Amino acid sequence: MAINAVGRDIPDSIPGYGDVKHFKGHDRRPPEGNRFGKRNRTAFNSRTDKTLPDIKAAISASGLKSGMTISFHHHLRNGDFVVNAVLDACAEMGIRDLVIFPTALFGVHKHLTRHIQSGVIRQIMGSVNGPIGQLASEGGMSVPVILRSHGGRPRAVTSGEVVIDVAFIAAPTSDKYGNLSGAVGKSACGSLGYAHSDAEYAQCVIAITDNLVPYPAPCIHIPQFFVDFVVVVNSIGDPAGIVSGTTRVTRDPMRLLIADNAAKLIEATPYFKNGISFQTGAGGISLAVAAYVREAMRERGIKGSFGLGGITEFFVDMMKEGLFERLLDVQSFDLAAVRSIGENPNHVEISADWYANPWNAGCAVNMLDTVVLGATEVDRDFNVNVNTEADGALLHGIGGHQDTAAGAQLTIITTPLLRGRIPCAVDSVYTVTTPGEVVDAIVTEFGVAINPRRQDLIDAAKEAGNVPLVTMDELIDKAHGFTGSMSPVETEERIIGVIEYRDGTVIDVVKQLKKK
Amino acid sequence: MKTAQAGTLESMDCIVSVTESDKGRGISIVMEGASVARFGEAMVKATKDTLKSLGVRDISVSIQDNGAGDLVLKARVEAAVRRLAGGKAA
Repeated sequence: MAINAVGRDIPDSIPGYGDVKHFKGHDRRPPEGNRFGKRNRTAFNSRTDKTLPDIKAAISASGLKSGMTISFHHHLRNGDFVVNAVLDACAEMGIRDLVIFPTALFGVHKHLTRHIQSGVIRQIMGSVNGPIGQLASEGGMSVPVILRSHGGRPRAVTSGEVVIDVAFIAAPTSDKYGNLSGAVGKSACGSLGYAHSDAEYAQCVIAITDNLVPYPAPCIHIPQFFVDFVVVVNSIGDPAGIVSGTTRVTRDPMRLLIADNAAKLIEATPYFKNGISFQTGAGGISLAVAAYVREAMRERGIKGSFGLGGITEFFVDMMKEGLFERLLDVQSFDLAAVRSIGENPNHVEISADWYANPWNAGCAVNMLDTVVLGATEVDRDFNVNVNTEADGALLHGIGGHQDTAAGAQLTIITTPLLRGRIPCAVDSVYTVTTPGEVVDAIVTEFGVAINPRRQDLIDAAKEAGNVPLVTMDELIDKAHGFTGSMSPVETEERIIGVIEYRDGTVIDVVKQLKKK
Repeated sequence: MKTAQAGTLESMDCIVSVTESDKGRGISIVMEGASVARFGEAMVKATKDTLKSLGVRDISVSIQDNGAGDLVLKARVEAAVRRLAGGKAA
């Protein structure tokens, strides 16, 4: 056992995970070794068609066997048909004990429950949202879930810590030789950013498409020389679940107040100047912050350099208006973003490696001035939890939270002080996702708490005079005054989830919930 | 069996339903909602304190919670009990 840098007591070895590298601080683990290399292969011009008749034929051709690791990307989000179809095929072919390595799972993947219970799936490395997270939290998986950030995952792949045997890449468009595009096709999803490292490093790559076009495909995101086989199916996903419609800026006055406080803080800092770069999520508060910042940029005649991350129509419009020069897009959230990435050369697809991997020669988050993120809980040390709910269930992934927080000059967490009776500012978060040392400010409807490590920001906010400053202690006391004391979460000793920091050290673990 | 109810499912409110019980059966409380996992003990205490102050010894209480604080919960319990006693679901 060892107490790590965020005060968590973590065993030196975890059954089903192996030896633990303890978290020692956000920049304390130096990179090791070389980039992983996959085996060489050749395809002479005697074979110019990589298509196979169905998923099972591709699985056979790939050499996939029980116990291996298979990967997926989540650009089709809650509309995805591919993960379920591949696991159904594996089950029918008698393949078992698989480690699945998705970039994320969604509600639609509840279907996998049967494959977990029957032993087709042994382990999940990736976020477990909703029903599968609940199942894992209650002890329904024999091996812990391993969570990695959007940068931590490509780090694990490119360093060879995780070797992908077969990558299944849902492709909205492909030609017969495996040039893949996310920008066109009836199931278009825009950027294929999360799939790039899988394409590059997996021992075998199978593309699954519902739009086979003549060679060469247009707007190629993943090139042919990574792709071994192509399978054509009727549909890879439901467009209604792949892209959202226009996400509206919230109209909830409390959330608008939080967003206004965050925007005032941004405007008060030296980062608010020509060339500012910016990332927000697609949630209601985040988008409202973007709306206020856009207003301020117009008023003060400020032009930004780039918008990063999951890209929405809001950012597309800001670029069209000249408020950003470019968009760096790892995931396109809505129809407008999907259209833009196919048409506008200033809307650039980036891989997760490029976006956030801490073990390369420099990822995009390092160039970020300001990021606005959410939280389920924050604590006295500014640690943030985005993984577990108040009842202790592991229901959310890390996303780019750790990466952007570590990379950006100004990391802002927006959260209401309470959700119902549940306090969002507490003494100590139940699970540490992102360490407080990379978090600069917590913004609530009751005021803005700036991390005491950032005296420069405190001074800037005071000078601006319109940022309602409070201390973290005041926020926690206020929340406690409303809610009273919480009873502890009752757990078993068994670890069901391992939260890796982006450098591959273990920052926290999640324990199995006690049966009620 | 007489029943009465008070409250709403608005955020930070709850619906409290009370049903009369035979003498000597005591107090039974059933709760559901997102805060129960972490505030269950506090909710039971608030409910029992309110029932005690109203002199109620035998009753069955069902709480559908949507994040009510103790003050709101106590008020809803009291209102439900008074409606039960008044014989009308006013």
